[in-house]
Amino acid sequence: MNDLHAVLWIARKDLLQEARSKAVTVATVFFSAVTLGVLAFAFGENPLLMREGAMGALWVALAFAGVISAAQSWQADLEDGALEALLAWPVPRAAVYLGKLLANWGLMTALGFVLLPLAGGLYGADIGGGAATSAGAGGGGGETAPALVVAVLLGTIAAGTLGFALIAVFYAGLTANLRARESLLPVLMFPVVVPILLAAVRASNALVGSGDLDLAWAWLRLLVGFDLVYAVVCLVLFRFVVEA
Amino acid sequence: MTGSAPVGAGAGTPVGAPPAVELRGLVHGYGGPPVLAGIDLDVAVGRVVALHGPNGAGKTTLLRLLATRLRPVRGHARVLGHDVVRQAHDVRTRVATLAVYGGAYGALSGRENLRLGVALRGGGEDPEAVDRALERVGLNAAADHLVRAYSSGMRKRLALARLTLANAPVWLLDEPYAALDEQGQELVDALIAAARDDGRTVLVASHDLPRSLATADAVIEIAGGHLRVMARPTRPPAATTSASTDGESGA
Repeated sequence: MNDLHAVLWIARKDLLQEARSKAVTVATVFFSAVTLGVLAFAFGENPLLMREGAMGALWVALAFAGVISAAQSWQADLEDGALEALLAWPVPRAAVYLGKLLANWGLMTALGFVLLPLAGGLYGADIGGGAATSAGAGGGGGETAPALVVAVLLGTIAAGTLGFALIAVFYAGLTANLRARESLLPVLMFPVVVPILLAAVRASNALVGSGDLDLAWAWLRLLVGFDLVYAVVCLVLFRFVVEA
Repeated sequence: MTGSAPVGAGAGTPVGAPPAVELRGLVHGYGGPPVLAGIDLDVAVGRVVALHGPNGAGKTTLLRLLATRLRPVRGHARVLGHDVVRQAHDVRTRVATLAVYGGAYGALSGRENLRLGVALRGGGEDPEAVDRALERVGLNAAADHLVRAYSSGMRKRLALARLTLANAPVWLLDEPYAALDEQGQELVDALIAAARDDGRTVLVASHDLPRSLATADAVIEIAGGHLRVMARPTRPPAATTSASTDGESGA
């Protein structure tokens, strides 16, 4: 069959299940909101610290929520032998991985887009306002449109959540059949996902803090580079994760 | 002891065609004594073979090996000439499995599960085929209910519907009668008979010996890691069946 067709069917299956159970949505939204709130409380009443920490807090919330999302994404497959049945069908293993990745990435990106204005409001960070600051400071780079800053910021969230989902879905699949999967998953994946998070935080900070598009592009390119490397490695190795 | 059980050619088997199932020196275990200790088996195309044996004897292990969900420790297994390790994808296109568990997604309806199965097996969109399969197993009324609300018997019927939609030449059925009422068990018998008529090869792991004797061309016992042909009910075209295993002869 058309492999793309299989990818879309598997992603559709996961999203349909999520639309009905809302297990991931409820858990990740609640957990992220609590994380953002607690960190805002920890930063105290220092407005500068709050603004500078806004994107870091956003990515911490997204990272923890991403672990929940990835672990849940395999949960339904483990019930009633559904994964066993799926893997007995002539479905390319890469299609299984990409389908689950697509669904997981979609959910995480949507969550990121929801959390971005929430973090901005909670931490007093003017999303897109950094562009005006940069232009006003006479950086010499001409005026940067706030809309462009927001667009690049959304692109950064999409690229960051893609990198995160690439790793999270891979390791969640690896640990899916293990009894200690919930404790093993973050232990295994976080060391690998650190470069993604660092690049995403730096790119986001550059945009929100100063609207420095050049700096943001540099980090974004690095982020996309990590995405590509992880995508290739995970696609090649995934069949060993699920094969007998 | 090494079991060797050639189960003879079916009526439609072309001369020189590979057996539907071919096992040679197949060994598998889970760390302790091997569950399958070097078994040999040939099952010709179009035959129905029942696997009988106590719990833990290796029936499910054998079916999972043939479904490419386990790797043999030693020896090899082929399905219609395709090696289950090196040509796993080719094997999967030729095999349909009915596992002990239903293998359906609880948050999807019965119909959605079947559509997913058809699509992922490369069958494309065929709503009418799905409707026919649901009707055949008696699930029309519950077709749009979520599977999580199904009883275990209904889940088994759904798995049977998915099996019929797979259009695979080899069926691997693990405890197909479990959780089914009498009517459901008769449905399984009817599906197996229809599969035989269509020239499919069926391996059935079951504890229901009387049913196995009634439906199968050969009944093979797995015990102690070895195979033994227990009985070969005579039914056309079972006259071509020949089997010999360590001095045991078929009935």
